[in-house]
Amino acid sequence: MLETLGLYPSWYVPVIGSAWVMGIIGTIHVLASHTSVGASWLFALIETKAVRENKPELMEYIKKYGVFLLVFSYIIGSITGPGIWYAITVASPKGVGGLIHNFVWVWAAEWVYFTVEVIGVYALVYLIGKIDPKTHLKLTWTFALASWATMLLIVGILSFMMWPGNESWYQTGSTLDAFFNLNFFAHLGLRTAFMFAIAGAVGGILAATMKDKEVRIEITRFLSKMGIAGVFLGLIMWMWYVQTLPENARIIMQTQLPSYIAPTLFAVLAATLIYFAWSAWKPLQLKQGFAVAMTAIIAIAGLWPEERSRESIRKPYVAGQYIYSNQTIARDVEGKQIKSNLPQIAEHGVLKTHPFTPVSLREVTETNRLQAGEFIAKVMCANCHSMENTGLRPMPQKLHGSTDVAMIKAYLGGALYNGTVPYMPRIPLPEFEQQLVAEYLASLSQPQAAMKQLTLAESR
Amino acid sequence: MELTANETVAATLQVLRDPAGIPSHPVVFQVLMVFTWVFHMLFVNITLGSALLSLYAFQHRQNRHWNQLSQGMTKAAKVSVSMLIVLGVAPLLFTQVIYDPQWYSSNVLSAAWAIGFIFTLILGYSSWFVFYFKNHDGVKNSAIWWGIFGLAMFVLDGFIMHVLSYQALLPEQWLSWYSADGQADMSGTGLHAYQPGRFLFFMAMSITVLGAFLSAYAHYYKVREDKEHHYLTFVNRLGRKFTFAGLLMQSVTFVWWLFDLPEHLQALQSPLSWGILLFMAVFAAIIKGKQSREMPASYFSLAMAFGLIALIGIFREALRIHYMLPFDYDITDYKVMEDIPSTALFFMTLIGVGGLVGGFFLTAIYKAGRTQGMYQASKQVSQLGSAAVGIMIGWIAVFFLTGIWVWLHNV
Repeated sequence: MLETLGLYPSWYVPVIGSAWVMGIIGTIHVLASHTSVGASWLFALIETKAVRENKPELMEYIKKYGVFLLVFSYIIGSITGPGIWYAITVASPKGVGGLIHNFVWVWAAEWVYFTVEVIGVYALVYLIGKIDPKTHLKLTWTFALASWATMLLIVGILSFMMWPGNESWYQTGSTLDAFFNLNFFAHLGLRTAFMFAIAGAVGGILAATMKDKEVRIEITRFLSKMGIAGVFLGLIMWMWYVQTLPENARIIMQTQLPSYIAPTLFAVLAATLIYFAWSAWKPLQLKQGFAVAMTAIIAIAGLWPEERSRESIRKPYVAGQYIYSNQTIARDVEGKQIKSNLPQIAEHGVLKTHPFTPVSLREVTETNRLQAGEFIAKVMCANCHSMENTGLRPMPQKLHGSTDVAMIKAYLGGALYNGTVPYMPRIPLPEFEQQLVAEYLASLSQPQAAMKQLTLAESR
Repeated sequence: MELTANETVAATLQVLRDPAGIPSHPVVFQVLMVFTWVFHMLFVNITLGSALLSLYAFQHRQNRHWNQLSQGMTKAAKVSVSMLIVLGVAPLLFTQVIYDPQWYSSNVLSAAWAIGFIFTLILGYSSWFVFYFKNHDGVKNSAIWWGIFGLAMFVLDGFIMHVLSYQALLPEQWLSWYSADGQADMSGTGLHAYQPGRFLFFMAMSITVLGAFLSAYAHYYKVREDKEHHYLTFVNRLGRKFTFAGLLMQSVTFVWWLFDLPEHLQALQSPLSWGILLFMAVFAAIIKGKQSREMPASYFSLAMAFGLIALIGIFREALRIHYMLPFDYDITDYKVMEDIPSTALFFMTLIGVGGLVGGFFLTAIYKAGRTQGMYQASKQVSQLGSAAVGIMIGWIAVFFLTGIWVWLHNV
């Protein structure tokens, strides 16, 4: 048992893969949480204006938006937050474990902020008109700063998922070196910019319902200015962000992302700018349905491809460029006394070292070799590849429908074994397991042939 | 040399631990895990109890006290779900730190349910919000279906959490669940093990906690002139009845749970088991006494309920330790990679932000809630507010200064 690897069971989701489950929950969370943080700043700024200029009528908008947030962000946002944990847990338990064990105290500090934030949003909404304005303003500013603090804390962890950006953390193992990584400030700037833009767009949904004409104009223009500032800041931060990405990420961006992503994102950006400019110019023409549509466009055509791209360009790693998406540890990390799993895999393969290999597959026979190949392939590949003809980077398509076992095996024993493809993990399977996986992968494009082989084997 | 079944499981648990180790002594995480779980469970119980009561009261809303209670409990459940979610994050986090092999394996083996938990909770909570928006004077009877659906989802989610927690205690069965027919089942669609006594015990605790919550509710509002005295007395009486009934149900289900436990745990001989039974008996006797003497409402029952949940939290952790003994799984031998800066970050945030900012928010809510009309903050509350803003600015400043220094140093 000394040769056992720390691999968990796998969860396989046909067609879309577990990665998409994670992506869907993540995108919903990003939309809800960024709206919430952005809105908290909007509240603080508008309320400051209301108190300074003695305009209590502006508070009605904050109340409306606040109640909306309670439903939108504090149902969906607060559930999908832990939801991302659950999703990563079942999609990549080793990945989330690595993050938790490096950043537990950061996450715990963020939890303190979550807690005060949830108490704060109820206080903010329900105490409007029930507590004196100056004290309420303090409450709102505290809430805004605490909300942003949750972003400050989570961005360091998300950035580390991309990469530490230098060798320091690998040597020291220090949480500070991991957290304040090369990618951190650019990523923080990008998310901060986005929170203003999305809060501006969502804010339009409520602004359009304000009955007082003057208030409606004032709020809508305020939202537009905030949104435009967010978009421009976001553009600058994006340019910086790209500079802080690792080589594999840039290669994936240039060669592997679907071709529609870049033009779609630019189109959404342009549409958002036009929307804000137009609503600043003609604030009374902003209707609720239009603001809802704009929010939906940003979420579906902007956020979803962006989040998906961010997940994709991190490949083949899931965290810190030391844990692969398939749960294996890709390199030594001296600062944490972590050893790479790859030498063990190269020497003993997966079947002998995976603690959850079904007993019947520990000895490969003529009758179970296809199942053994399937097990290894799913453990090593299914986190990123669907084994069906459609879905997430479908394996049969990636192999161009090949049924040539020798050719597939040559790839497994060559480029994949040596890790020469920048966006693919190094999977140094021993020769026997390469053969099993190749047979299984070939069978995906020729299921009838595989069935025949299986039937023949069983009849022997 | 061939390993025994238990030795094989023990070795698996060891290799599944995260190789990065943990940044402080394991007992620190254990204490925090149990402590934060108590708060989480308090709100779980308040949610389930108040949701159930609001539906019952809704059906009797022709009586104005029941009507008022239904509306109040609908709101209480709504806020309580928010709190249980956010307070559940901490024990979930600390569990993953010291019991990662157990938690992750259990989750992956029932992955579809773990993900289903998220979506059913969203659906249930949304449905509850609809019920909350509808549950006002003159509401139609059909509105109750929103509430029933919401509560059903909450109970389902409680059951999923129960299964995930219980499966984590049975590592010797994981492989057989994963490869039931000789092949790996990667669908994650199975719920493999549950313990009725344990699950029902936690459900019964919702009745006890609901009762305690009602007494506290009556006490909290007694200074408000717009809250009718008869109504608060009605609520207080109801609270005591629920607490007493809940404790009876808990006693029965606790014994059931004890009998469900494997013999090697010797739970029936444990002083902690008897201590919990004794605590519940004393608690019930006090409530009975208060009931017969028509004592006024107070926070006493809530404090006792909190104490009971704390005892259960300790009992639950003691059970887990004993479940793991045959596999030599001892959290104290988890690899420690001390990390002082991040440890300081948490504890300073907890004290500074949790204390000052949380304290300010809670004080403002508490004081304003007990005031009819607008609450004018006292000098102390106003100063607390200024300190809360100040601590936030200070925290962010330190964060950025540290970050820039580390970043420049590494770049």
